[in-house]
Amino acid sequence: MRIALTGNPNSGKTTMYNALTGRNERIGNWAGVTVEKKESPIKKNFYGGAEELIAVDLPGAYSMSPFTSEESITSGYVKNEHPDAIINIVDATNLSRSLFFTTQLLELGIPMVVALNKSDINEKKGTKIDTEKLSSLLGCPVVATVSTSASGNGLTEVVRTAASLLGQHQQAPYHQGNISLNSKAEVEAADRKRFEFVNGIVAKVETRKVLTREKNTQDKIDDILTNKWLGIPIFAVVMFLVFDISQSTLGPAIADILVGWIEGFQGTVAGMVENSSPLLQALLVDGIIGGVGAVVGFLPLVMVMYFLISLLEDCGYMARVSVVLDPIFKKVGLSGKSVIPFVITTGCAIPGIMACRTIRNDRERKATAMLAPFMPCGAKLPVIALFAGVFFSNASWVGTLMYFAGILLIFLGALLVNKIAGYKNRKSFFIIELPEYKIPSLKRAFLSMCSRGWAYIVKAGTIILLCNTAVQIMQSFNWSFQLVEEGQESTSILASIASPFALLLIPLGFGAWQLAAAAVTGFIAKENVVGTLAVVYGITNFIDVDELVLVHGADQVAAVFGISTVAALAYLMFNLFTPPCFAAIGAMNSEIKDKKWLLGGICLQLGTGYTVAFLVYQIGTLLTTGSVGTGFVPGLIAVAAMVGIVIYLIKKTDASLAAEYALGAAAK
Amino acid sequence: MNLTNAQEGKEYIIRAIETDDEEMDAFLFSLGCYTGEPITVISHLKGGCVVSIKDGRYNIDHQLASAILI
Repeated sequence: MRIALTGNPNSGKTTMYNALTGRNERIGNWAGVTVEKKESPIKKNFYGGAEELIAVDLPGAYSMSPFTSEESITSGYVKNEHPDAIINIVDATNLSRSLFFTTQLLELGIPMVVALNKSDINEKKGTKIDTEKLSSLLGCPVVATVSTSASGNGLTEVVRTAASLLGQHQQAPYHQGNISLNSKAEVEAADRKRFEFVNGIVAKVETRKVLTREKNTQDKIDDILTNKWLGIPIFAVVMFLVFDISQSTLGPAIADILVGWIEGFQGTVAGMVENSSPLLQALLVDGIIGGVGAVVGFLPLVMVMYFLISLLEDCGYMARVSVVLDPIFKKVGLSGKSVIPFVITTGCAIPGIMACRTIRNDRERKATAMLAPFMPCGAKLPVIALFAGVFFSNASWVGTLMYFAGILLIFLGALLVNKIAGYKNRKSFFIIELPEYKIPSLKRAFLSMCSRGWAYIVKAGTIILLCNTAVQIMQSFNWSFQLVEEGQESTSILASIASPFALLLIPLGFGAWQLAAAAVTGFIAKENVVGTLAVVYGITNFIDVDELVLVHGADQVAAVFGISTVAALAYLMFNLFTPPCFAAIGAMNSEIKDKKWLLGGICLQLGTGYTVAFLVYQIGTLLTTGSVGTGFVPGLIAVAAMVGIVIYLIKKTDASLAAEYALGAAAK
Repeated sequence: MNLTNAQEGKEYIIRAIETDDEEMDAFLFSLGCYTGEPITVISHLKGGCVVSIKDGRYNIDHQLASAILI
């Protein structure tokens, strides 16, 4: 039997779903976190029955008529898929709005229980709701719940009640009657009546001490966080702290310990296989443990960042960030709603791109999905940390600079998209619900950190492991399948495949086949950049560079890579701003749903990565040595060709827009 | 007048919503923002304002605020 969880956005559906099923789905304190339907069996201890109960988590909706694409999933599901029961989660702090949807759901005839969620907040505010009376007025059971708390939360009662209603027919307390759904006036009149009915119920069951329209402490916090002058600096400081703690202070401190263990393990394994063939030794010790270990070594940095981002998502600040950045994003043709995908992308680009679904304007949504990958994601973090450590003596500004470079590229990219796609200055309204602040749950953040950390380990143990093994084998053999001799590394299969790519990268300052190979494997998963570099250069410990320095001498660490500091920065930025992994491109494909836009997006990312790396390397080299770097002229030609294509596309769009306007004018 | 020149903290009644975007109109309706209903501006911000509709708080931009007549 399937039980659908429905309700307004941010009423706590996914929190309840997680509690009921033991799953660990993404939650956040803003409207529109869940953009997909999710199903999982409810834990037996909630009802103790023999029959399996399946909970179905749905995106939030304010009414049966969908506004954005994810809301249509909800109305489509309850109307067409015939769930056996509905748990309608009602935000008890906003009864007057929530019951509108509740009364619509009751008309479906599916047995329903109302879970009056967030009852704890009401208690604090002194708002009282008479659940018995509400139940008799609605004609369905009503249970007060607090799904964020572990015990005494009312969840058992909700599930048991829902299960007991199986097979019954729900009577609706309010009927819309027969109206023509095509007539706007009739629909509106019916909806007005429905709201009047709801207002009547609310007046009978709810007593409030504090009126919502009065200014409260929360609003005073809002005044500061969304202040004209302070809003953006506060956001910049918050993000800086997230990156600094995860990548420069706490993260590396934990990573040091972990890497020590990995090295110890590597040593033990090396001892065990000492007498076997050199090939097996190299494959197991350098290729598999070395490459995967280099990636896993960065796990603490990633996990600390996930923890901090989860705290941010939980406290209610994200909606305020949208408010603060909306005026700026509007200037480049995006909206404040684009901010949420960008922030989520700092964790992983795939959920970030999926979060674009809540953006209603088609052009804004596509542009956001295409630009979100410019924000460095969790998988790119090891790459940043590696280069910051090896070439910039662990300077924390490197990481922060990369994020702000990402934001700058998003702005420039958005302007470019407008120019090419033909931005018509049409009205796009911005409205976002401001949820109540709450103290973020450390337990939630910990769980979320663990589940995402686990996903990172799984990835390291599967895709990264496979890639590293392949790289190690391709590096060890030449085309006649004989072991490559020492000093003859450039005859290996890997070298001969990567060399043509390396040619293209000469103008960017890093035309070595090793670096080209790492960049290419990076398209499969960005962590591969680190893994491949570890394999081709035979280094495992990228975290504690001091130790490396002791072994090799300070300059030799960078010398192993054989490139200048400027070229290293160019290489880092090339990896960050070219297309993300294939999985993210897949997510872009399913959100953008338009081959032309998708292709444009990938080209934009490739072009941007190449151009940025070219500019950083050539200008940087000019500044540091007084002359331009190698391959300046061919690189310039390549970049000029890309600029030429962009200008051609803009011209073409301008011409077609002009023609459109002329037609419009003629029609008038 | 419209919401952009509303006094903070004072409850107004919505007179009309001027938009040709029917979906937006229907969406505002589902939040309880329609003619005849009360609305209060909590504070004015740089790009828009914070409003209280029924028991919810929303941020809306200037374009939308100027479309809501009170």
